[in-house]
Amino acid sequence: MISWDYLWPLFVAMGIVLAVVPIAGLYMTFVERKLAALIQNRVGPNRVGPAGLLQAVADGIKIFLKEQVVPNHVFKSIYFLAPTIGLICAMLSIAVVPFGPTEVGEKEGFRAIIAPGIDIGLLYLLAVSGLSAYGIILGGWASNNKYSLYGAIRSCAQFISYEIPLGLSLLGVIAAAGTLNIESIVASQGPGLMHWNVWWQPLAALMFFTAALAETNRLPFDLPECEQELVGGFHTEYSGIKFVLFFLAEYTHVVTVSFLTVLLFFGGWHFPGLTDSVDSTWGGYAVRWCVLLAKVALVIGLIIQLRWTLPRFRFDQLMGVAWKGLIPLGMLNLVGLAVVLTLDLSKWWLAVYSLIIVLLVGIANVASTRRTSTSNSRSNIATDLRSAPYEGAS
Amino acid sequence: MGSVRINDVEVDVDPKSNIIQAAQQAGVEIPYYCWHHDLSVVASCRMCLVEVGEKKPDGTVSMFPKLVPACQTPAKPGTVVITDSDKVKKSREQTLEYLLLNHPLDCSICDQAGECYLQDYTYKFGRAHSRLNEPKVQRLDKYHIGDQIALFTDRCVMCTRCVRFTREISGTSELHVVNRGSVEEIDVFPGHECNNKLAGNVVDLCPVGALCSKDFLYKKRVWWLKSANSVCTGCSTGCSIEVDQNEDKIFRLRPRENPQAQGSFMCDEGRFGWKYVNSEDRLLAPRKGKLGTATPSPATEEKPKSDLDFSDPWPNILNDVNQAIAEAARHDAHKFVAIFSPFMTCEEAYLLASHLKSINSHIRLVLGPVPVVGADDCYPKGPKGESPAPDKVKFTIRAEKCPNRLGVSAILKHFQGEVIEWSTVQSELAAKHLQSALFVGGYPQPVLSNADVQNLSELRLLIVQDILRSKLTDNANFVLASASFAEREGTVVNHAGLAQRCHAAVRPPAEARADGRILMELAGRRGLFHADSLLQEIGAVIPAFAALKEATMGELGVKALS
Amino acid sequence: MSEENSKAKKHVTWAEPPQMTLMETLYIPAIAAGIGTTVKRMFGKNETRQYPEVEPEIPPNYRGVHRLNRDDQGRVKCVACFLCQTVCPAKCITIEATATDKTDPNWADRDKYPATFEIDELRCIYCGMCEQACPVDAIELTSIYDLTGLSREEMIFDKEKLLEVFDETTQSGKDPVRTKRGTLGPASEILVDLPDESSSSDHPSS
Repeated sequence: MISWDYLWPLFVAMGIVLAVVPIAGLYMTFVERKLAALIQNRVGPNRVGPAGLLQAVADGIKIFLKEQVVPNHVFKSIYFLAPTIGLICAMLSIAVVPFGPTEVGEKEGFRAIIAPGIDIGLLYLLAVSGLSAYGIILGGWASNNKYSLYGAIRSCAQFISYEIPLGLSLLGVIAAAGTLNIESIVASQGPGLMHWNVWWQPLAALMFFTAALAETNRLPFDLPECEQELVGGFHTEYSGIKFVLFFLAEYTHVVTVSFLTVLLFFGGWHFPGLTDSVDSTWGGYAVRWCVLLAKVALVIGLIIQLRWTLPRFRFDQLMGVAWKGLIPLGMLNLVGLAVVLTLDLSKWWLAVYSLIIVLLVGIANVASTRRTSTSNSRSNIATDLRSAPYEGAS
Repeated sequence: MGSVRINDVEVDVDPKSNIIQAAQQAGVEIPYYCWHHDLSVVASCRMCLVEVGEKKPDGTVSMFPKLVPACQTPAKPGTVVITDSDKVKKSREQTLEYLLLNHPLDCSICDQAGECYLQDYTYKFGRAHSRLNEPKVQRLDKYHIGDQIALFTDRCVMCTRCVRFTREISGTSELHVVNRGSVEEIDVFPGHECNNKLAGNVVDLCPVGALCSKDFLYKKRVWWLKSANSVCTGCSTGCSIEVDQNEDKIFRLRPRENPQAQGSFMCDEGRFGWKYVNSEDRLLAPRKGKLGTATPSPATEEKPKSDLDFSDPWPNILNDVNQAIAEAARHDAHKFVAIFSPFMTCEEAYLLASHLKSINSHIRLVLGPVPVVGADDCYPKGPKGESPAPDKVKFTIRAEKCPNRLGVSAILKHFQGEVIEWSTVQSELAAKHLQSALFVGGYPQPVLSNADVQNLSELRLLIVQDILRSKLTDNANFVLASASFAEREGTVVNHAGLAQRCHAAVRPPAEARADGRILMELAGRRGLFHADSLLQEIGAVIPAFAALKEATMGELGVKALS
Repeated sequence: MSEENSKAKKHVTWAEPPQMTLMETLYIPAIAAGIGTTVKRMFGKNETRQYPEVEPEIPPNYRGVHRLNRDDQGRVKCVACFLCQTVCPAKCITIEATATDKTDPNWADRDKYPATFEIDELRCIYCGMCEQACPVDAIELTSIYDLTGLSREEMIFDKEKLLEVFDETTQSGKDPVRTKRGTLGPASEILVDLPDESSSSDHPSS
């Protein structure tokens, strides 16, 4: 039967996740504001606490004390349920993500993962993260507001579209490691720098990062909540603590995505020079933990940086990126993977293959957009449109 | 009529007129300070100097070598006038420079600024800069040369209009010129202040800001005042006036030139007699039911309406008034009298009379008390204050202190064949023969004796339409808060039968309403009160007013009754 | 219609977006360049001024809270000519004028002064036209830019308050009296030293 020895590490891990993730979410808002300020030649929050460090706490207190505004026209039960669903789904996906160095197959004692040694890790992850669209859609619909519904529908389309490249990009990693177990995948990337999956699967890494970013609803993929068009999108009618739940779900996603990117493509807690097994010494354990968290912090920083670098996509561009860009590329990558695996070639051929694909696609793109008599044809269209009313009048 | 040429314009003018009038007729402006058409000519200001010539019978024109004052030169046929030559322009410029030599230029605190001829002419004809380097001659202001008049001596241009007015129109000769040269100034004799009943006119006559009305001093800058043409209700002369108001507050009355009515002036009684319009005793809302207290005090006034109370008290009260009148008339119409105030306009009297007669033809319409104070006061006075010979009268303050006795009487006469005088009703009241009455007031001062008020209060039904709170309104069953002369449209007929139009200058206070509007609704007539169309109706219905049917009223009035 | 078409063709030039190069169609280098730009920005000089610790330097012609100047005898300089109230586009000035007490020797040389002078600082748009209109340089806008209040009533400045502003601003040396147009009225100071004697004839008063 399930013994206490088996359960306590689980509870500890859950406690750590439940405690750290919301706080991390709060502080990410601070980091985000600070980075945004730096990028815009400003100072950013600097009034609450030393260097503004307590700003996140102040924000948290403020938002908890805010008045609970419930519009009259909302579908009450679902309206209240939606942000909870969103946050639960986001939290659930963390269950299979190791947040520190773990040994594969080790099930006794504390492990930095809630569900250690789970063999369907990635499958579970894809399934659960797909669920998080649920919260947004329900929230948008229960708000009984056109803008919210638009946001929700956009979110729905976006989730469905980007689930596919997300899955496709993971196939190479899974095939190479021969498992869905994330701990095993990390273990397969150690210990040298060149063992990282990103070197022989650069295209897949890029696709994964892009699709995952889209799943988090962050810029440049934040169409479900874009202020200029939809007021606040799906969370227009939400305020106070209910809004915070949505907010927290988004940041939890960012954390999850960052962890996954690092674990699947950037060697997890491995770093050149660290050759010992994970918990041979406490010092080594701590260093590996630091390596992992540093890598994750870098990715989070990149995600924030991207927000201030790239403008938001138009909706057709968003769909185009998924259906006309990422999915075909993923299929091509899959073909190459199949060939390499079948012929048992060196996996470095895949790196070359990725580069060739990218180049070819680029060339094809240039060729297809080259116009021959564009100016002529376009002015014809324009004058036709312009003269239409005159035609009608005469 | 003779033909006169002003610059390039040929006009036919009355040979008695002078060149200024001829030029006005030709649409050419000749500036002037000292000349006034109702005063004698002195040609002292030299502002109206023009080039004048004569057309000889052989067609040649010979110009006079010197400039001549236009005010003093008759426009005889064949006169040729040039007002825009360099010579004339230079002359005006120099005249203005001299006038401004010692002028303090305190336009910023001068009440005349905005309607000052010195300002206007300097802009139009003067030079922009002064060349005087020496200090200005200081002449001390005389803040009290009359109860209503202050003299800012340093602003004076010595046109002597005011002096001539007191000599020629009022005949009281208080003002005169003392000293000579640059220290010349206007003054009064010691102990003889300028306090005649026409004294206020010197303020209007003064083309600059030297003579100011103490009543209006520093109250408002004149460019904020909006004027409405009206008629003075102080006496039956019916002076044409302008009511100057800003933001629904009256600031002053000024005479409006009307040769048919009074000429160019008005008396101080009328000029300053409008203060009751802003009185604290004004009735602000209609009321049903007696107040009951014996002494009127502001504390017993009904509760002020809250800002959010937009309910209109009038429809219900007017409805009740109508029912009460019908009830009283059914009971005994002979014992119901309607007392028409001589302060009512013709339209109002007509509306009320026709309405009451349509309820019951036995209701008696009575002309209310006509206030008479002393005897007619004629000007100019002689050296000892005696009245002038009748053919020398230039201005009359009438003893009858109401504007429209003739008009109301004519209407009452039409509706019941005779005018029942107030004294008849007075005795009936004393004998307790009456049961109910409708009293229309509008008197600036109370006219009823205590006994009359007591008798009226004891009636079974008393409806009062008035502007000021009094014992009578406190004891009335219905009070209809109405409007003063400045707040209503209408026509009044003066002592000589001249019908003139009053225009509303301000709005009635609070819930009070113009009498015309009250009576329109009381009579159940459709549409808004419109004086012109009502007057046409009156002209059509009442033969005595037939002259009003076709004529347009205009601002100078129409001779209606003889 | 065909004429119009040809006309349109003649007069309208169509600008085409430039062709994308291979590097641009790959997007990745462009995104990397973008990130490069933002990273570079992060280490740039920041432009934030730490108000209220660091106060901005207000130029001398700044139009802030009004004041009513005093003349050399400490009386209110305003002569209640109402020109500011007339010219005010926001209708925020309310003046009540009154005659001076002639028995008071302090006011012997003045005829008219403002009994009340109110400016609704909330309604004011700080255009400075009152300052321009004033013939006696009595109303001026100071460099006070941080006016706050807790109620509408306290933002209506009366004569005393406006004179207080004068005392405060002149004492602190921040706002010297800046308009001096000369002897246009009884309260305006005498224009003694003109730069050029001949220019004094530019004033009709001198």
